[in-house]
Amino acid sequence: MSGYTLVVCEKPDAAKRISEALSDGKATSASANGVTTFRFRTRGKDFVVCAARGHLYGVSDPLAERSVYPVFDAEWYGNDLVEKRATGTASRIRMIKDMAKGADRFVNACDYDVEGETIGFNILRYACGGKERGALRAKFSTLTKEDLVGAFDSLEGQPNHGLAEAGRARHAIDFDWGVNLSRALSQAALTQGKGYRTVSVGRVQGPTLGFVVDRETEIRTFVPLPHWSVTGVFEKDGRRIEAAYHKGRLDREADAEEVRRACTGRLGLVGQKKRGLVQVPPPPPFNLGDLQKEAYHAFGYTPSRTLQVAERLYLSALISYPRTDSQKLPPSIGYARILRALASQSQYSKLASALLASEPKPVQGAKYDPAHSAIHPTGEKPARRLEANESRVYDLVVRRFLSAFAKPAKREVATAEISVDGHAFSLEGRRTVEAGWLGYYEPYGRFSDAEFPRVEEGERLPVVAIRSEEKFETPPGRYNQSSLLEKMEREGIGTKATRADIIAMLGTRGYVSGVELAPSDLGASVVEILRLRAPSIVSTEMTSAMEAGLEEVETGAGDPKGLLRRAIRAASEQLADLESNEEAVGLGLSAAAAATQAGGLVLGACPVCKTGKLRVVKSKKSGKRFVGCTNYSSGCRASAPLPQRGALRAGAPCRRCSWPVVYVKTGRFPWRLCVNPSCPSKGEKRREVRTV
Amino acid sequence: MKCALCEREAADELCVYHARAKERVVSAFSYWKEAYGGLGWREYLDRIKRNPRTGQWAKEVAGFLGGAIDKKSS
Repeated sequence: MSGYTLVVCEKPDAAKRISEALSDGKATSASANGVTTFRFRTRGKDFVVCAARGHLYGVSDPLAERSVYPVFDAEWYGNDLVEKRATGTASRIRMIKDMAKGADRFVNACDYDVEGETIGFNILRYACGGKERGALRAKFSTLTKEDLVGAFDSLEGQPNHGLAEAGRARHAIDFDWGVNLSRALSQAALTQGKGYRTVSVGRVQGPTLGFVVDRETEIRTFVPLPHWSVTGVFEKDGRRIEAAYHKGRLDREADAEEVRRACTGRLGLVGQKKRGLVQVPPPPPFNLGDLQKEAYHAFGYTPSRTLQVAERLYLSALISYPRTDSQKLPPSIGYARILRALASQSQYSKLASALLASEPKPVQGAKYDPAHSAIHPTGEKPARRLEANESRVYDLVVRRFLSAFAKPAKREVATAEISVDGHAFSLEGRRTVEAGWLGYYEPYGRFSDAEFPRVEEGERLPVVAIRSEEKFETPPGRYNQSSLLEKMEREGIGTKATRADIIAMLGTRGYVSGVELAPSDLGASVVEILRLRAPSIVSTEMTSAMEAGLEEVETGAGDPKGLLRRAIRAASEQLADLESNEEAVGLGLSAAAAATQAGGLVLGACPVCKTGKLRVVKSKKSGKRFVGCTNYSSGCRASAPLPQRGALRAGAPCRRCSWPVVYVKTGRFPWRLCVNPSCPSKGEKRREVRTV
Repeated sequence: MKCALCEREAADELCVYHARAKERVVSAFSYWKEAYGGLGWREYLDRIKRNPRTGQWAKEVAGFLGGAIDKKSS
């Protein structure tokens, strides 16, 4: 077969769906070396559909030698040469090259965003022999048959490649910054320290780590200010009614005491009761950041996990493309069609049918993405049994979508004052009178109600007590993965597609740990040293300026080469600073690296040698974590395996064997584990199970 | 020179972090004094040292400043 259209997709699942949709399920597949292609004929034309597996090409320097820097002659190479883990890339590229030979028309059908454009552009340029210029573009936001057929019916050429140019520039800039600065830092640590340790830093990673370190500094230097809250306790018909002093927080103990003295033993006069209705509109439709935050709150899923699950749902054609900034649902998605389809799914039948009773019109958020709508269900029924996490995220997306079409919730707020000798105390009640969208978004959206006490205007109530409570301000909380992602969004660093991975990488690098993210010694030192010696690397301004430059390139208004030159100049300046201070930088980093290595989480006293402490150790060979004794070098061989996933927290020692207990948090709720593999309680549990 | 409270380098007696904590400890004193109606410096330091919400470095600084008073008076 020759003279066919070669369709380049981003992932194998997408290739399969596209082939099935365009061929009415008549496509034939062929596999060679683990790579599947699809062939079919439709409307008098032959098609061959092939797929990448994410990026097939990556940026590297010709030497790829970890100790050599600076390197600013980065080029695009097959990913098998760039990344050790990119197995199978070479055979995939070979297969696409072979397919390209017989093709007379090329279609880029990768995801329509910066990364998808970059993937497709590189394949068309390098594997298909410079076909990126004349290739057509298929644009779609869901993998439903209707959307895909529509996209291929309206294939269009691309007058410019702004998105791809921006994507390629981003990769090149990240390489120039990340690789050079990481190599400089690692070399400094190696020269001055005793052992090698990779110290990595990136254009977005640096400022993100800076946020965590700054928050920790804020917490550790925090001095709480005292204040007092005063509550009046009144009595009516044997029931106690509490009302807060109307001034709220009092800054002086003497003021609180004065209120207490003046009101004790008096009568309070109930003033006029005021009622008001407040309308609470539905929350905006989901963009990726909002979905990640909500899934974190609802299920405890990390942003990267939510993105993975959402991508699986997208590839199963159940939801629209998840890597979107948009909070808008345009009419073109077909509101009524989706609602009708959801009405045929038993768990949403009632809700969706109710919304179809009138013309559906959703609430819209402020954020806009020219390429995609907000995340929404396609209405297709799951063709397979969804995994638990897929099922949860799907339900969240569907309910958020449904709630967007529902009426605002109505809340009644009732207030009244009780005055006691010139001092006023406030009574307040809140309740939902019309659930509106809340009824659609259960169990994810909730308001807390407080009943207004049964009192009437003009009633006199005896003061039973005046309670004055000394309080202290609380320090700011540590970031969790969700709030750190929000901070990155607010500061305009990273992209919707990369933020979750950058946060995850901070943990992998040993810069931060815990569910509430705390910096390690190494993480804190990296920020401290860079702020002193190469401040731009951890500066939000520099990263935001680069992001703004990349956005200009995306729209076709910016010059990618000029931007790259500016980035190289800035990186060179920082490198020169680092080099001239190599000794100080190296000493600081190697000391911090050693402290981080030695300072794994201490779990408790070692029950074997009685003098050492059991702590979490990471095996240099396998990279796996386990429990080991600090007296290992003196001969204590106490050790125990640990789960490899989840955040660990030390608990009180086990009552049965006195080995430490850890709480492992992989989901919303942590589970308890005695680390002793021979703990008698474990045998008992097994026996109990057998007995049952 | 080393910080009086940790292993970090310090331009003066304290590293940048403990110096920042010292600034916050000193600046919060007038508020505490007013709040409790004439609280003394020593008593203030003791109270913030005991307060579970005080940050670790601020506690260390409070101990350090309290120790300096003890040295002077002995």
